[in-house]
Amino acid sequence: MRHWVVIGTVVAIFALAGAGSVVGQAANPIKIGFGMALTGGLSANGKPALLAMQIWKDNVNKKGGLLGRPVELIFYDDQTNPATVPGIYSKLLDVDKADLVVSGYGTNLIAPLMPMAMERKLTVIGIFGLANNEKYKYPNYFQISPTGPDPATSTATGFFELAAKQTPRPQTVALVGADAEYPQTAMVGARELVKRLGFKTVYDKTYPPSTVDYTPIVRAIKATNPDIVFIASYPPDSVGMLRASHEVGLQPKIMGGGMVGLQFTTVMTSMGPMLNGIVNYDYWVPEPTMMFPGIQDFFKEYQPRAAKEGVDTLGYYLPPYAYAAMQVLGQAVEATKGLDQQKIADYIRATEFSTIVGKIKFGKNGEWAKGRTLMVQYQKVQGNDVEQFRGPGKKPVLYPDELTSGKIVYPYAAALK
Amino acid sequence: MARFGWTLVVGAAVMAAGIGVASLRVNPYLYFAGYVILQYVVIATAWNILGGYGGYVNFGTPAFFAMGAYTSVFLILSIRAPLPVQILAGGLVAALLGLGIGYLTLRLRGVFFSIATLALSVVLQTVITNWEYVGGSRGLSVIRPSGPPFGNYVVFLFTVMVGLAVVAVIVARFIERSWIGRGLAALRDNEEAAECMGVPTLRLKLFATTVSGFLLGVAGAPFPYYVTFIEPNSAFALDYAVNALAMPMIGGTTSWVGPVIGAVLLGTAQQLATVTISSEMNLFIVGVVLVAFVVLAPEGILGLVRRLRGR
Repeated sequence: MRHWVVIGTVVAIFALAGAGSVVGQAANPIKIGFGMALTGGLSANGKPALLAMQIWKDNVNKKGGLLGRPVELIFYDDQTNPATVPGIYSKLLDVDKADLVVSGYGTNLIAPLMPMAMERKLTVIGIFGLANNEKYKYPNYFQISPTGPDPATSTATGFFELAAKQTPRPQTVALVGADAEYPQTAMVGARELVKRLGFKTVYDKTYPPSTVDYTPIVRAIKATNPDIVFIASYPPDSVGMLRASHEVGLQPKIMGGGMVGLQFTTVMTSMGPMLNGIVNYDYWVPEPTMMFPGIQDFFKEYQPRAAKEGVDTLGYYLPPYAYAAMQVLGQAVEATKGLDQQKIADYIRATEFSTIVGKIKFGKNGEWAKGRTLMVQYQKVQGNDVEQFRGPGKKPVLYPDELTSGKIVYPYAAALK
Repeated sequence: MARFGWTLVVGAAVMAAGIGVASLRVNPYLYFAGYVILQYVVIATAWNILGGYGGYVNFGTPAFFAMGAYTSVFLILSIRAPLPVQILAGGLVAALLGLGIGYLTLRLRGVFFSIATLALSVVLQTVITNWEYVGGSRGLSVIRPSGPPFGNYVVFLFTVMVGLAVVAVIVARFIERSWIGRGLAALRDNEEAAECMGVPTLRLKLFATTVSGFLLGVAGAPFPYYVTFIEPNSAFALDYAVNALAMPMIGGTTSWVGPVIGAVLLGTAQQLATVTISSEMNLFIVGVVLVAFVVLAPEGILGLVRRLRGR
């Protein structure tokens, strides 16, 4: 009898697995396929990105779809594992017959898609990958993150240029980052900037991403007494570094730079006033200079749905750009009146797009022709209430000049008061 | 010997069938999925030589797999070595690692051996993370050679994996049926008793760690060309350790055919789940199936079949 239970379980699992593939077959829809990090390390951003893309799909379908056909999104969980990517995109293209693809979220999940895209001559819009096209120089790849023509230095540029403008001018720099893909790239960029602007490096070290206690690192940095502390970190270590610097009392003149995670709602609310004074990169903040046409409507739809689905409730970092990526693709399909990959790519390369994150023109290597990585400073954050982050004032934009919405509090210690 | 001859004939037939499938040019997705499943056939079979036959549970599968993969990366970067050279070198490096581990953990048994292998994986991952030449923590995009055989590189990789799976299974079957297999079984049941009876336990253990390591490295060697991007977290993923253990357990650990059955069943279920439901379901499947087997059929599917026949 017992073995029938086992056989039954196995059969049931197979049946369940098969059932998923027949869901949702509308009348001749345009299928857009992608893998997305819905589990694993990048899922905290992958899920909000997916929601933004679904909102775009709903909006487009409400208006009658693309080319008069409804749009359908086909997506699979890549588990934040690059090894799943080739299989997923092959399934999308060969079995599901997706008409168009976009990338999943993150540098490492875009990288395995590149050779396949080149082999099959696909047009690919990348969602927040850093310098994916450096090696391939594939003309039909476009990156939606506003890091600009030189992605490696993009986070460091604003931070160090801002630092160089302060009086008294800071002199010494501590560079610290995790032993991981993004921080390493950002550190390379930072070193370049330090050299270019004539600062003096007094500390330059990395730590393993699995570090739990950051106080020894922060103590070591404090011992060198730097004026500038540039941190390139992922969410868990951003939090760890910030807590440790408050414990140890690290107070350089300016601190932050490339800390991923401080932009996320859950991190902002859990850190609260500890964020004050940190100057960090960002892509979108609710400041008057960032209110591009359509963005408020997007958040009006995104925020209630995000609350219901339990993903990033404010959604200020990645979601607007994920939406914009789909807008670019949609506009290109409409304009070229078809689904020809090459025509779509040619159109994207030649056109300036109006999106909810402003005007986008792609340039060298498929990156934004002109970079727009913001530097913001957390100011007057009080308590852990999420509502305070909805309006302007908590994260004024300090860089670039044309988007500036506030003044830096300098030195760092003054912002803590 | 006649029996072994038959094994070779069947093996050659399977390889020919693999090449036949490759030339059919069916849906390309099947080659992608098939590659992963076959890769698991090699991994499960290799793990079973040490874990199933010898009773030494190895949690360090990712270390051996990644050694194969990173040896390939090194050879691609330094001398643009062709795939067969990569596979051979990957296997040899992993075999040396296996031999080294065998020596280092001579006195460790049971759970202590397992912990040591897990530690090995952590140590090697740290080394690779800090080795810039092979991409370090940032990872590295690997560009496949142009003008692939069979017209498509993935189809070619699929065929290569068919060959590797056949070789791995033949090796496992040969070991199982020879005096080495019987020696390993004695080692598994009671190491002291086996030693007293004149079984060369040390030599057998070293042989098993080396051969198992070799095959795991071989499984990892084509990985960079398959995924075209390699970084430490995915090369050293815990999935390999879990699957390498779960697949033989489900199929049955005492025979060469057990890991093959387990790898095909579980590997297929995982591939289906990845592209249908979600990966949460993917992990869930491994968990549920493993628990079901441990509770209801501790000797795997082979044990079930034997019990059914016995009645």
